[in-house]
Amino acid sequence: MAADTTPPAAPEDGLVGITIDGRTARVAKGTLVTDASAILGIHIPVYCAHPKMDPVAVCRMCLVHVEKMPKLQPACATPVSEGMVVSTERADVAKTREGVLEFLLLNHPLDCPVCDRGGECDLQDFAFRYGPQASRFPITEKVHFNKAVPLSDRIELDQERCILCWRCTRYYDEITGEKELVLQERGVHTLVNTFEGKPLTSAFQGNLPEICPVGALTNRKYRFKARPWDLQRTKGVCPTCSYGCNINIDSRDFEIKRFASRDNPLVDDMWLCDRGRDSGPSWNNVERIRRPVLRDATGSREVSVSEAVAAAARSLREVRERHGPSSIAVLGSAENTNEEIWLLQRLARTALETPHLDHQLEAFPDIGPEEHALGIAEIEQCAAVIVLGDEPEREAPVLTLRLFKAQTKRGVAIRRVVAQATRSLVGELPAEGLIGLIADETNREHATALAGELSRSHQVRRMTVTRGVNGRGAKDLGMLPNSGPGYTAVDQAGKAGRHILEASAAGLITGLVVMGGSVWSASVTPLLERVAAALEVLVVIDTRPGPLSRAATVLIPGHAIFEKGGTVTNMEGRVQRVRPALPPATQTPSETRILSALAAELGAAGWPGDHLLINRELVTAVPAYARAGNGGRALFEAAVRA
Amino acid sequence: MLIEIAKGMAHTLRVMLRKPITVQWPEEQKPVAPRHRGRHILHRYDNGMEKCIGCELCAAACPVGCIYVGAAENDPANPVSPGERYAERYEINLLRCIYCGYCAEACPTEAITLGPRFELADYRKERLVATKEDLLEAWPNMAQSRRSPSDHGAGADQTGRASEVPGLSPRVAWEDGIDSSASPRPGEYGIPSHVPRVISPDEAEPR
Ligand code: SF4
Ligand code: SF4
Ligand code: SF4
Ligand code: SF4
Ligand code: FES
Repeated sequence: MAADTTPPAAPEDGLVGITIDGRTARVAKGTLVTDASAILGIHIPVYCAHPKMDPVAVCRMCLVHVEKMPKLQPACATPVSEGMVVSTERADVAKTREGVLEFLLLNHPLDCPVCDRGGECDLQDFAFRYGPQASRFPITEKVHFNKAVPLSDRIELDQERCILCWRCTRYYDEITGEKELVLQERGVHTLVNTFEGKPLTSAFQGNLPEICPVGALTNRKYRFKARPWDLQRTKGVCPTCSYGCNINIDSRDFEIKRFASRDNPLVDDMWLCDRGRDSGPSWNNVERIRRPVLRDATGSREVSVSEAVAAAARSLREVRERHGPSSIAVLGSAENTNEEIWLLQRLARTALETPHLDHQLEAFPDIGPEEHALGIAEIEQCAAVIVLGDEPEREAPVLTLRLFKAQTKRGVAIRRVVAQATRSLVGELPAEGLIGLIADETNREHATALAGELSRSHQVRRMTVTRGVNGRGAKDLGMLPNSGPGYTAVDQAGKAGRHILEASAAGLITGLVVMGGSVWSASVTPLLERVAAALEVLVVIDTRPGPLSRAATVLIPGHAIFEKGGTVTNMEGRVQRVRPALPPATQTPSETRILSALAAELGAAGWPGDHLLINRELVTAVPAYARAGNGGRALFEAAVRA
Repeated sequence: MLIEIAKGMAHTLRVMLRKPITVQWPEEQKPVAPRHRGRHILHRYDNGMEKCIGCELCAAACPVGCIYVGAAENDPANPVSPGERYAERYEINLLRCIYCGYCAEACPTEAITLGPRFELADYRKERLVATKEDLLEAWPNMAQSRRSPSDHGAGADQTGRASEVPGLSPRVAWEDGIDSSASPRPGEYGIPSHVPRVISPDEAEPR
């Protein structure tokens, strides 16, 4: 009889068994009770705890009863141990929660109707679910603080609404390392403030309103723009750089109201940079190309899309008949989706039969997948990471946060060196382990040289920060003069981007198809103007006006990246889906449909126009993309050079 | 039997000679009940400030979704309402409203109530999308020129204005037969993406 009461021995699987409210689970050692409860589907309210930060247990919201412990324990800071029995339903837990909430609401203003957080506020939600019915504290005796204090041009602080969870100060300590916010004073007068009252300068301020559990820190650019229940939320990918941060596109009235983060631990780790975050609403005001236009010596006129496509095909055929196929060139851009790139390179190679195609201006003679071998999350597994120059972190700012996390939480040695430095780094590196080497595309050659030198003594993996949201996809899918889809060899290498433009200006190329060229920087504008003046036929498919679109003989509007479906590939090769968040600002079909119609007019009928069908074709031809699926990395075995 | 007929005729005669309870509307008006739920009124404080703070709680409470509120930040030097926030736009589609009064119930500042006005008929549907200027209590020295309802506000479906705005056309956009036989996907051809989506298995994946 007595022998039966001893519990069976725990299995030796490195896991520990825990019981919460009668439900049991086996979780990894060191798991916090809050995380274990999430696995079991039991809600424990938290304020100070944050999944990306170390526990501090200052708010006491998460107190739960743990058997054999004399007092209630903070679930956010208590690791599970074998046989632990937790209760979140006991009367003393409920009473404590009521007490904590009553204290938090003592001086909290009755601001919900005018508070930007109303509707997605943890204080509202928990007070509703766990709070007391009424406050015993008279409303007239609340202590008041300053409201709507600007901390920078992005962030506003309402001191009355702060519940002193320390998340914002810890964010600056643990996540960015910039230490721009501090807590001042003591007791009821404790305030969050900037250090010495200076405005915030961080490039990652937009994350603050998202981590603040209440409406104390709010985004000035989103101020009073919408209520959460107004917003139409679409999953997307940040269109600003090649890092590929996952976002939620929140729109109302057919306008983008904000970009919100969408945690992908392998990419953004839930942080966005301000440049990317602000890029969403700024799209509402950009000038767009809205109607197809034909232009000739006599002037220009608006036409239908069919007429424009037919005219484009006709004039390209004429050019080919008069000057041969290599008098035509095709330029894509790093802003196009993989599906568009796929059709565009196919249009160049098979329908127009020209070797001159590219998606960028620089020529990469020895392009290969080995320069994209290091994954973003793999940075944390390196022994040391070398960053060449400041360009990588300028181009892809969220990289800085990953490097800081690797350095502070994983002990990775981070070396930031000047790209041109020739001195040997080998002596400074740990003898064992993986070495990451990060450079941007302007420093490719330095990176190649350095990788060659290091690989004699170390295992090196390179990461190259590509330009544009889909610069990597354009390379993988062969929108290059010297490499076909999947870095396959091509029969005849064509001219690279800038050479195409120069040849066009010199009259060697007389017909040019450009998709998305408005993204090129102003420094090439003079060249583009010469190109526009010299070309016989210039077909432009673009979203925004630029030097080329203003001179195009055939101009067809395109859809912005959040107006269409497709996939884009970030700099580490992660293939991620984009979805239409808004209806297109033009009453015209998407680029993929225009390209398949153009191919049909050129005699290559039957190309798919729907992005899902194109994607099916694309993954068949490039197996790395089939393996990547949706959200995985496209990894190429070996480089095959032209 | 004759007695019954005489009784009935007497009753008819009595009623015939009574003063009628109907009135010659619209020349003659009857007072409405004090709690009549007619067209809404947006109220002001005694100093002329608007009570509405643009919180959108009325819009959230409205069971038919006929209220549109667009909030903005008050200029501290020249505030429209007390506090930081006010309703820059406020529209009610009176053709959809069921006069339930939930909006008035939800309002934290008692800014909106349902008033006595019931004569709501017009030759143009657009006129029945009430704007903030229509609904606000009149106030001396405050010009009240009526703005048209906003393009995507409460009356977007009534005014037909949505089709005039590029990109908002409810008309399917493949104007010239370029399209293949594939069925349209929300958002890709001008179909507003808030139409419930049919998600294909490819798209149902998490990322
Ligand atoms: S922080 Fe939350 S509880 Fe406080 S006023 Fe704002 S919405 Fe209301
Ligand atoms: S401002 Fe927000 S995040 Fe910072 S301590 Fe206050 S409540 Fe927490
Ligand atoms: S009365 Fe009812 S239906 Fe009409 S606006 Fe108010 S809440 Fe909506
Ligand atoms: S009428 Fe009342 S509930 Fe509606 S937005 Fe104005 S203040 Fe809020
Ligand atoms: S969440 Fe555990 S103490 Fe704050």
